[in-house]
Amino acid sequence: MRVLLVEDEPRLAENVARSLREGAGYAVDVAHDGQEGLFMAESNEYDAVLLDLMLPQMDGMQLLRRIRQAGQRTPVLIVTVRDEKESVVALLNAGADDYLTKPFDLGELLARTKALIRRGKGDPSPVLAVGDLELNTVDRSVRRGGRSIKLTAMEYRVLEYLVHRPRAVVSKTELLEHLYDYNWEKFSNVIEVYISGLRRKLDDGSARQLIHTLRGQGYILQD
Amino acid sequence: MAGPGAGHKSIKGWLIMIVVLSQTLLAAGLLVAGILYTRRQALSTLDGRIQARAMSVAALVRYTEAGDGTVYFDDSLAPPSLDPYHPDWFAIWTDKSGLLTRSKNWPAGFEMAPTGPDRWYLKLANVRYRGLRLARVSVLDREEGDTFHPQTMTIVYASPTVQLDQQVQQSALYIALSSLLLLTVTVPLALWGIRRGLLPLQELAQKAALVSTDNWELRLPEEIQRIKELLPLTESMGTMLSRLHHAFDQQGEFLGNTAHELKTPVAVLKSTLQSLMQRPRVLEEYRTGIEDSLEDLERLEQLLQRILRLARAEQWAQGALRRDLQVIDITSTCEDAIERIRALAENRNTTVHLSKNGPVPFRADPEDLQLVWINLLENAVRYSPPGGSVEVAVGWRNGGGAQVTVEDHGIGIAPAHLPHIFERFYRGDASRNRATGGFGLGLAIVKTLVEAYGGTITVDSNAGKGTRMTVTLPAVSDR
Repeated sequence: MRVLLVEDEPRLAENVARSLREGAGYAVDVAHDGQEGLFMAESNEYDAVLLDLMLPQMDGMQLLRRIRQAGQRTPVLIVTVRDEKESVVALLNAGADDYLTKPFDLGELLARTKALIRRGKGDPSPVLAVGDLELNTVDRSVRRGGRSIKLTAMEYRVLEYLVHRPRAVVSKTELLEHLYDYNWEKFSNVIEVYISGLRRKLDDGSARQLIHTLRGQGYILQD
Repeated sequence: MAGPGAGHKSIKGWLIMIVVLSQTLLAAGLLVAGILYTRRQALSTLDGRIQARAMSVAALVRYTEAGDGTVYFDDSLAPPSLDPYHPDWFAIWTDKSGLLTRSKNWPAGFEMAPTGPDRWYLKLANVRYRGLRLARVSVLDREEGDTFHPQTMTIVYASPTVQLDQQVQQSALYIALSSLLLLTVTVPLALWGIRRGLLPLQELAQKAALVSTDNWELRLPEEIQRIKELLPLTESMGTMLSRLHHAFDQQGEFLGNTAHELKTPVAVLKSTLQSLMQRPRVLEEYRTGIEDSLEDLERLEQLLQRILRLARAEQWAQGALRRDLQVIDITSTCEDAIERIRALAENRNTTVHLSKNGPVPFRADPEDLQLVWINLLENAVRYSPPGGSVEVAVGWRNGGGAQVTVEDHGIGIAPAHLPHIFERFYRGDASRNRATGGFGLGLAIVKTLVEAYGGTITVDSNAGKGTRMTVTLPAVSDR
C-alpha cells in the first residue's frame, strides 16, 4: 500500500511516515505544502491520503476539493488541530472520509489509515479471505487452511495488495506503484522474487495454486 | 434578592417615613393654626360682647335729681348674665369719689383697685374670667343746661371664658378628626405611589439578573428606558456590560487560541515519543529520538513563555498590574537590543544601523522596551535578503514624545496581511511551520506593550521593497 502524507511540520511528518512504514509496512510519500501535495496526488496512485489542514501555499480543504473534483476516490484522512463541529461537517461534506485531531495517537492514526484502505477496497473486515487464505491486517498474520504462514515484510505487503484486489489482474507496475514510494522504478526486478517466494510458502502442502501469472499482463490472486 | 436586613438601607422605608412624617407635621400645623385662629376670633367676639355689656352697665349710672353732679347706680335695670351658671360680675368707680357699686355676685373678700390693665384674664373659684377695664367713661345721662362739672368713671366688667374654651376645644377636635381622616387616605396613596415608583427599579434588577456569560444583553422594556432617573444607571450598566463582554470574549479567545497553538507542538512531541516506542530500537535511535523530543519541548517552552509574556503585557495594559517604572534612555535600550540580535544578524549576513540623536528619556521598564525592539529587529532581519541592511532610528517626534523606526529592505508584507499582522497567532502563510520560525506572537506582544505605555505602532510596507515599523511613545511627563 502506498500512502501520501501532506504535513508541513517536518518532525511530525517524519514521525508519522516512519510509523506508517514500520507499523503497517506502507510506502509513504511526504509533501510539505499544499501545492506539492496536490501535484503528488494527481501524478501518483495512492491507496490513502493523510492531509493536514493548515498548509502553506494551498490549504488542505482546497487540496481535498481539487482531488475530489478531479474524480479521485482515494480515501482521505484529515489530520487537524481544528475540532469545532462546523469544520468537521465541512470536511466530511468536502469529501473527507475520516478525521483525526492533533495531538493524536500514532496507533490510532495507523488503525484509522488501515481501516480507510480496507473500506476503500470495498472490504471493511480487518481479516481478508480469498478461498482458504486468510490475511489479518491488524497483526499482519497469514493463514492458509488453518496453517500459519511466516512471510517477510515485503512478501506480506505484496500479498496484502493482491488480497485487496482478488480475481483482478494486477500488473507489476501497479504493484510497484503501491508498494514503493516515489523512486519505485529502481525496484522493478524484485517483484518477481517476492511472488515466487510467496508462491512457495502459500502453496506448500496445498493442492491448489493461489497466485497465477498472466504472461505480459501481471498476476491474479484467486482460488 | 437580599431582604432589608440589618445594615441595609431601604429607599422605600425612607420615603414612607418622610411621607408619614410630613403628613403628620402638616396635620399638627393645621391643628395649631386652627386653634389659634378660632381662639382669636372667639376672643374678639367675647371682648366685643363684654364691652357692650360694660357700656350698658355704664349707662345705668345716673346723676341725682339734686343737680349737684353726684351720681348713683340704677340697680333695678342691671342686665342678666351672659352665662347663667357662671355669671358676670362688674364694679364701677367714679373718679371723684371712688367705688360706686359692685355687682351682686361680687366675690366676697375680693378686692380690686380701679387701675390696672385694659384686658386681662383672672381666675376665681376655679373659673376663668376675661376682664375689661374702661377708664374715664363719662356719665351719659347729662342733660342740657347742667352746669356742674361732668363726672367720669372707671368700669371693670368680667365674663367667664367657659364658652370660649369650649368653642376652641370643639374646633380643635374637628380639625384633628378631619386631619386623621385625610391621613388615612393620603398615606396609603403615597405608599402606593412610592411602591409603584420603585417598580422599575425592581424590574431593572430582574432584567440585570438575567445577564450571564451566555447572555450579555441587558434587554430593558421601553418604560424603563424612558425613566429619566434610571437613565444614568442603565447607560452605565450598558457600557459596563459591553466592556465586560469584550474582555470576557478576549480572554476566551486568547485561551482558545493558546490551546489551539499548543496542539501542534504537543502533537509533534507525542508522535516523536510514540514512534520511538513503536518497536525496539537501537541505542542511536533512542538518542536521536530523545534529542528530537528535547528540541520539541524547548520549542513548546518558548511558545509558553511568549504566551505568558503576552498575557502579562495585556494584563498590565488593562491596568491590572502596578509597576514601579524608572526613567530610562530609549536609545540605550535600542543599543542593547541590537547587541542581543547581533548573532542572528551575523548569521544571516545582515547589518543593523542605528542612527541616534542623544539620550531620549522615557519612564518604563527597560526590559519591556528591549523586548519591543528585539521583536521588531528579529522580524526585520528574518525577512531581509542575505547581505541586506536594517535601519533603526531613535529620535524626537514633532510635538513631543519619542519615535523609533525599524526599517528593512526585505520581502515586505502583502497588503492582504497588513491589517492582521498585530493579531495574536497571525501568520501570513497559514502554516505553523518552524521554518518561518515565528509563533505569530511577536508583533502582538509589541503592540500590547507599546500601547500599555500609551504609545502607538504603525506599519508601512511595500511587498518586495521592505517594511518600516514606526513606534511613538508619549513625552515622559504624560505618564
